[in-house]
Amino acid sequence: MGLLKIFASILIVSSTSLIGYCFGNRYSTRLENLLHLEQCIKILETEIVYGAVPLPEALTNVYIKGNKKVSFIFEEIRRNLLNNRDGDLLKSFKMVSNQLTEQLSFKETDVELFLSLGRLLGSSDRSDQEKNFKLILKQIEILKNEAKIEMDRNEKVYKNLGVLAGITIVIILL
Amino acid sequence: MQQREIGIYENVLEYISLEISQVLKKIPLIYKESVEEIRLRNGLPINIYSMNSDYFVAEDGSITKDKHRGKLVTKEDIIKTFQLISNYSVYAFEEEIKNGFITLKGGHRVGIGGKVLYGKNGVEKIKNISSLNIRIAREKIGVSNKLMKYIIEYPNTIYNTLIVSPPKCGKTTILRDMIRNLSNGLTDYNFMGLKIGVIDERSELAGMYNGVAQHDLGPRVDVLDGCSKKDGTIMLLRAMSPDVIVMDEIGGIDDVAAIHEIIKAGVKIIATVHGSSIEDLRTRRSLNILINDMIFKRYIVLDNSKGIGTVKDVIDGNTFTSIKI
Repeated sequence: MGLLKIFASILIVSSTSLIGYCFGNRYSTRLENLLHLEQCIKILETEIVYGAVPLPEALTNVYIKGNKKVSFIFEEIRRNLLNNRDGDLLKSFKMVSNQLTEQLSFKETDVELFLSLGRLLGSSDRSDQEKNFKLILKQIEILKNEAKIEMDRNEKVYKNLGVLAGITIVIILL
Repeated sequence: MQQREIGIYENVLEYISLEISQVLKKIPLIYKESVEEIRLRNGLPINIYSMNSDYFVAEDGSITKDKHRGKLVTKEDIIKTFQLISNYSVYAFEEEIKNGFITLKGGHRVGIGGKVLYGKNGVEKIKNISSLNIRIAREKIGVSNKLMKYIIEYPNTIYNTLIVSPPKCGKTTILRDMIRNLSNGLTDYNFMGLKIGVIDERSELAGMYNGVAQHDLGPRVDVLDGCSKKDGTIMLLRAMSPDVIVMDEIGGIDDVAAIHEIIKAGVKIIATVHGSSIEDLRTRRSLNILINDMIFKRYIVLDNSKGIGTVKDVIDGNTFTSIKI
């Protein structure tokens, strides 16, 4: 009987810890992915502003050169763009926005920033594109700082909360 | 042949916004084969130019002369079409847009109308695009065959030739086919192919797309795409040692100077000019110089009295008499 209790307690504590860990981890994943996204956007900026590479090709280059964890979305946008051929870039950006929240732990503000890239991309001349990229990179910097603060504040809290909640449940049950 | 022409038309539709291209897909076959221009204007009906006349296209794809029945083009359609034409990359076509047109794969040309903005170096960009004119390039292989006998000079060179034609009578098409014939060589006349330098200021002759000529110009052609005639002449003469230099639509005083340079270098020239007759050309000062200097030995005058590309007359440049047989 005692052995069973110990086993059950371990199970409870480890599962709540895991839940806590998952919740906490979202914050560091978001920060990490924002960093990768920033890098991808910088590659895209180089391709467009300095290379004047046509957008579909530029998107492939971002996919190849960027961190695949995030850069795969650019390849998906390209595929969507060329398959649909309806002249609407924003639509292709919107298609992948679900994945941003689900797979990359992005928040709504991050997705909104990403979509604003879709609104501006390719529709004007190089100097204009350069200005837009600067603005977007500045905004991403702000989001990164915000994500860092949130991570410092919440990540440990959630992780500790998971462990403590488990222990509390065990104590009550015992 | 018919299938090929329809294929060209349908390729062009790939560059037009879905709403409009679906309508254009439904037009009768006879028009699909012969459409030369598709014109999209903000807030106005779809306009096509075919068989020497213009028509509107109704929602169901039928052709009409009644502008009220035509399917209206919205601003959205223009923006989407422009995105497709520029491959979502306006920044990559900055220079082309400044010149007012973009060349598509296949050598088709899209003219752009809108608000023109000036910067330090002339036209900076065109914004608020209000109209697009898609000119479908249809290569007509063999249209110049009948003319070659007039321009070949024994044993293996050509006469300096000027093609005189009003707009839309096929002068560029004929010139392009002449280039092909001269660069391939003509076995019928025992004529060996010549090295030809093409100054393609408006990207119409070769229809360069990503460095590849979209029209068949034969194996001995070097193209300077988007280059002015003055600069192109110097570059070709200095570096490419051409036998013949070809240029489209001469007219300015700079062009005359360039042609003199070509003659000085002992290189032959073929050019085209807007006009309906030699008398008409004489009214323009710069062209009058060329005529009086007897630089051109052959004048080929075109009109569209019997369809596009009808040869009205071939005139000898020394005697100014007709030599058309």
